[in-house]
Amino acid sequence: MLAYTVKRLFTLIPTLLAASILVFLFVHLIPGDPAAILLGDTATPEEIAQLSAEMGFDRPLWIQYFLWLGNVLQGDLGVSIFFREPVLAVIGSGAETSILLASMTMFWIILIGLPIGVLSATKHGTWVDQITSSGAMLAASMPTFWLGLYLIMIFSVTLGWFPSSGFPSLSDDGGITNLRYLILPSLTLAAPNAALIVRLVRASMLDVAREDHVRTARAKGLHPARVTIKHVFRNALIAVAAAFGFTFAALISEAVVTETVFSLPGIGRLVVQSILRRDYPVIQGVILVIVVLYMIINLLVDLAYARLDPRVSLK
Amino acid sequence: MNTLIFLRDAFAGRKLATAGFLWLCLIVVAAIIAPLVAPFDPLEIDPVGRLTEPGWPNLFGTDHFGRDTFSRAIYGARMTVIIGVGSVLVALFCGGLIGMISAYFTRLGHFLMRAVDVLMAFPALLMALVLITLLERSVVNTVLVIGIVYATTTARILFGMTLKLKGETFIDAAVCSGAGNSSILFRHILPNLLSPLLVQASFIFAFAQLQAAALDFLGLGLPPEVPSWGNMLSEERIYITRAPWLLIYPGMLIVVSVFSMNLVGDALRDSIDPRFKDDIAGV
Amino acid sequence: MALLEVENLEIAVSTQRNLLPVVQDVSFTVDENETLGIVGESGCGKSLTSLAIMGLLGTSPVRITGGSIHFDGMNLLALSEGERRAIMGNRMAMIFQEPMTSLNPVYRIGDQIVENLRQHQNLSHAAARDRSVELLNLVRIPDPSERIDSFPHQMSGGQRQRVMIAMALSCDPKLLIADEPTTALDVTVQKEVLDLMADLQSRMGTAIVLISHDLGVIAETCDKVAVMYRGKITEAASTADLFAELLHPYTRGLLNSIPVVDRDVEWLEAIPGRVPTLEETLTGCAFQPRCELATELCACEAPQTTQFKPGHSVQCHFAGQDRS
Repeated sequence: MLAYTVKRLFTLIPTLLAASILVFLFVHLIPGDPAAILLGDTATPEEIAQLSAEMGFDRPLWIQYFLWLGNVLQGDLGVSIFFREPVLAVIGSGAETSILLASMTMFWIILIGLPIGVLSATKHGTWVDQITSSGAMLAASMPTFWLGLYLIMIFSVTLGWFPSSGFPSLSDDGGITNLRYLILPSLTLAAPNAALIVRLVRASMLDVAREDHVRTARAKGLHPARVTIKHVFRNALIAVAAAFGFTFAALISEAVVTETVFSLPGIGRLVVQSILRRDYPVIQGVILVIVVLYMIINLLVDLAYARLDPRVSLK
Repeated sequence: MNTLIFLRDAFAGRKLATAGFLWLCLIVVAAIIAPLVAPFDPLEIDPVGRLTEPGWPNLFGTDHFGRDTFSRAIYGARMTVIIGVGSVLVALFCGGLIGMISAYFTRLGHFLMRAVDVLMAFPALLMALVLITLLERSVVNTVLVIGIVYATTTARILFGMTLKLKGETFIDAAVCSGAGNSSILFRHILPNLLSPLLVQASFIFAFAQLQAAALDFLGLGLPPEVPSWGNMLSEERIYITRAPWLLIYPGMLIVVSVFSMNLVGDALRDSIDPRFKDDIAGV
Repeated sequence: MALLEVENLEIAVSTQRNLLPVVQDVSFTVDENETLGIVGESGCGKSLTSLAIMGLLGTSPVRITGGSIHFDGMNLLALSEGERRAIMGNRMAMIFQEPMTSLNPVYRIGDQIVENLRQHQNLSHAAARDRSVELLNLVRIPDPSERIDSFPHQMSGGQRQRVMIAMALSCDPKLLIADEPTTALDVTVQKEVLDLMADLQSRMGTAIVLISHDLGVIAETCDKVAVMYRGKITEAASTADLFAELLHPYTRGLLNSIPVVDRDVEWLEAIPGRVPTLEETLTGCAFQPRCELATELCACEAPQTTQFKPGHSVQCHFAGQDRS
């Protein structure tokens, strides 16, 4: 297990470096003087020249990359044009919202997706299966923002059960109850993902049910429920758990739209606003953070996969 | 001929999928003959008749500029088809080619696939946003961006499928009879991949719609003057309480179209060679 | 009354259009301490027969459509699901062809044996574990108290099959059904497993139904044999009687097609033609298209099972006759 972890870490690092190169090149691909771009429209020629010298924009590109990388590893991701604050701080303020949103969404996905998927598989071929499968496909066909808008219409405006926008921090007044601001957004984000999980659980369980060892389990006279859970589900869980991990990783960027609809102060909305405001340091910083996070989560998923399937790590 | 039989078998007994397929045909037809069927000019502003309810002569009502929503919806079908077909072509062409070549030429393949892995470290929407930042808003760029986003997954999928085929005996037979590399790739491998490619194309078509709609909604997709279902939702969202129909119709159109594409893809997937079923990334 | 009595068993598969018979009029008995071999080509229905006896046809489109199965005095087809499950793995057990995929890869082998024990016997986990170690010892797994915690993929094919045997025999069943248990194993390992089964039988008195396509295996291990072709038993006798006098042309064809190692031959003998598919309904004898003795009678009229000699039944119009 340890050897496997180390091996995976080794393959992670070159990929991270390659991705960092792409992120670095991002600012340089934009037409125009990089320093002028980073400082924004209000910069004076002196400021531009000064930043150019500081950042070494007159040096060869690969030296600039290492300078940039050095800064990044020390936590310096540049300064936001709009906020005039370090990028890392700007990102950090949005992190709480995004992480809570992603976590709550995962909660719904597991709570709703898993049981329905299992139900769909066990009632395979019946009308229950037809409805859940088609329903899941329908849910996966909805644009999240459209679903979000309608949830706001129904639950916020008409029924007044949940707030429709904003998210005060948990450390503000209200504390934990402020989580109610995240209920509608997390449900919106969860719907299409839960649908995909339903389909995946169903497909995995049906595949596993056909395998020989399930026949052996039945030949032992085990109760059908026990066969389903201990033998079919447990084996299907391998593929499903991997999907959960990838879903969580993808949520980070999928949340962009949901945060915009519900005006949540998260990282997703930060990206969009920064793009519209041409706040390139923030864009670059957020992309880097998200990519690194994405890769780390993928690694954790691989390790979890090895944990769940004994055939993998003990090779 | 084989493809036709394949299509017919795929839809046999599946009413929902067939309905979906017919809906999509309707969309394509509407897109093509839009100027002939749209009752109004989709761009024509009528400051007096703003935000009128659905009825006659505005079947879907009018928006905040007084434009006829029904006509805009019909013209929006054009964008749906263009984005769908365009993205699919870009994704399949770029991604498919890279995937196939990587599987076939192993040494080159190692390098190419690592590059694809790096690109896949960028989540889809994020990659789309990054690319959009570098390009200006236009129809072509949107198609390009979405196509590139799905080119990476397509590359992976084609890589896996080509690898499986490469190990088959009929390839060995072709090599023994003196067939060159391009001959093997295009005359032996590619024809066997057509069916799974078709399935993958349908799912990409569906995903592309949702991505395009999301980009439109964020103000980063198609230019605002182009009527598209996503743009219609984006522009009218503040009128959700005053004129809910403005959001219902375009939204439903997107949902039904994406649903149809998913149904079609699902039906097709059940009919293809079972060994490729796991490779397809779809709903 | 014999331990296992199968009478006129009929199994059919329901397709979209109709009901196709796959096993017809199959009858045989097995007593304690006896080994019955069922031999035939792939697709002849031998596996389905064994699954039917075991009760594993379940929700598949394959159904028992006629006949009866009596085991230890009980009418199996009249039992409820719960009652049937109480027997499975307990008084009747089954092992399968592919030991690699027949064991659950995510659980240790000890846990899988314990699961069977605790399902049918009132044992604590510790007691079940101890019993499992004993069982592993019985099937000659070295270092059983250590190997009990292995995963299936950490063991060889032969060892896995022995674990399957241990698991099947854990509750001391009266009947063991073995569906091609050695087909997926190397020849040397085959012998070990078959010897083990014979040894366990002599110790525990278990009746065994052994299914195989390999006449050699059958000849070595079985007391009596039933030959199946396309869902019917074409010939049945004690092993000695069968190999002394092969009555059915199919049985002869099977024996003749076994390649002999110590002779130079130009051609390998094979039975011409192929097994007809399920959809091809036939009048007359199912083997007729491939039979060298066939006449018009064979094409029109299906032969009935006759007792050619006491204890030796056959289904052929020209049983025992040579090519002339």
